[in-house]
Amino acid sequence: MDGHSGQNPAVRIVGLRKSYRGRPAVDGLDLEVARGETLGVLGANGAGKTTTVELVAGLRRADSGRISVLGLDPVRDRAALRQVLGVQLQESFLHGALTVGELVDLYGSFYPCPRPREELLDLVELREQAATRFERLSGGQQQRVSVALAMIGRPRVLILDELTTGLDPAARRRMWRTLETLRAEGTTILLVSHAMDEVERLCDRIVLLRAGREIAAGTPAEVTAAAGAASLEDAFVDLTGSTPHAQETLR
Amino acid sequence: MTAAQDTASPAAPAPRPRRPGARALMMMVRAEGRMVARDVAGLVTPFALPLLILLTSAAGASRQEIVAGRTVLDLYVLPLVLVMVLAFVGVLNMPSFLAYYRKSGILRRLAVTPASPVLVLLAQTIVSAVQAALGILVAAAVAALAFGANPPLHLGSALLALTLTAAAMYATGMIVAAVAPSPSAGTAIGLLGFLGLGALGGMFGGRDSLPGPLAEIGALLPFGAGVDALAAAWAGQPPPGQALAALVGAVVVGTVVAGALFRWE
Repeated sequence: MDGHSGQNPAVRIVGLRKSYRGRPAVDGLDLEVARGETLGVLGANGAGKTTTVELVAGLRRADSGRISVLGLDPVRDRAALRQVLGVQLQESFLHGALTVGELVDLYGSFYPCPRPREELLDLVELREQAATRFERLSGGQQQRVSVALAMIGRPRVLILDELTTGLDPAARRRMWRTLETLRAEGTTILLVSHAMDEVERLCDRIVLLRAGREIAAGTPAEVTAAAGAASLEDAFVDLTGSTPHAQETLR
Repeated sequence: MTAAQDTASPAAPAPRPRRPGARALMMMVRAEGRMVARDVAGLVTPFALPLLILLTSAAGASRQEIVAGRTVLDLYVLPLVLVMVLAFVGVLNMPSFLAYYRKSGILRRLAVTPASPVLVLLAQTIVSAVQAALGILVAAAVAALAFGANPPLHLGSALLALTLTAAAMYATGMIVAAVAPSPSAGTAIGLLGFLGLGALGGMFGGRDSLPGPLAEIGALLPFGAGVDALAAAWAGQPPPGQALAALVGAVVVGTVVAGALFRWE
């Protein structure tokens, strides 16, 4: 569970629990993300991935446990944390009648030192759509706007929930390049994803969740090897499934 | 070192709280204004409503002079019409917009930025107030040209009363906006508030026809206090202290309660 840096981690989660109507979504999770690290958060549907990152983002309050992001509590220190946290939500809705450029200007005004409009639109390759209303963009373009707005405040910690869902292969690769640029800048990234090729390419480490608990963690290669699988995807299926092999691996 | 390198530096200390300021508010107001301008159907309420209320109320009003050339239309009907418009827009119309933002997820998206609830509520209020002001100006012009209505004897007092009444209505509406989970809930709660305030404030007949305690309560609520303050201004009298205090109180209570109850989701 340790991050791969000797410094204070960017994100530290201790004993985190969150239930919905008595059903645990996150069940005693401990997690650390080192500064500058890209951590992939994996798990089957309903494993607690989105709840975990929403708790980190301060969108939900934990039932118990502690979360620290750059030394800040996501709920108590909301105002300070929002300046250095970028979030791309799984389902994100924006003002549909505003153009891409207007949205960038609006969201940029919330931050002390936002990325310039042109730089940001180049980063997500949307410069030509600057004058197009958000509601008239394709799904993939809307996704890229959402990611752009998550990056606009030069976040030190970036949460991306299903970054490339709905993107075509070319757009996915463009998005990966964007993320690699951010990694090179030293941004800490929490990436929730179902795409194993994406995780293998982008993530330093992964954590695999099941029923709100960590069931495996390490580099993609370590998790694959520990599961005795031929690929990360096989390891994912084995570890998150209910096959006898999965139960044995978990034991 | 560039700003990007600086902010992304692993060794950078935790930031201090800093809320977006005047520039963010201006950008939010501009964005809201653009969306209003691009939704022509949404302009019906602020512009058509004052005219409709005026037409239904002013046609039967007596032209008999009461004081200093001011008639029943000036002293009773116009203040009532103006307060009705402000109550409708502030308590009923504005909250439903914010409830739509909440239901559609726009507030959720804003919740992960440094934007504060106050910024969102303030921008909504400013844009809505500008629309209401323009609508009232149109209605006042029609009242003067078509029905021979007169201006208030104390213009400054009338502007003060209008401003305070608008602020009180928006503050009341912000409580509705802060808690309404959906546009339909916002409309239902807002309608109850609008009719309740109106009933106690003389919208369905003079307040003097209400039982004593109810009439006294009505005078302390934004609708009744607004009508009293505007009627005094039209008659050339200073606004009653009780009415001004009630309006200021509504602004303070509404803002504090709305800020405390506001939910992004």
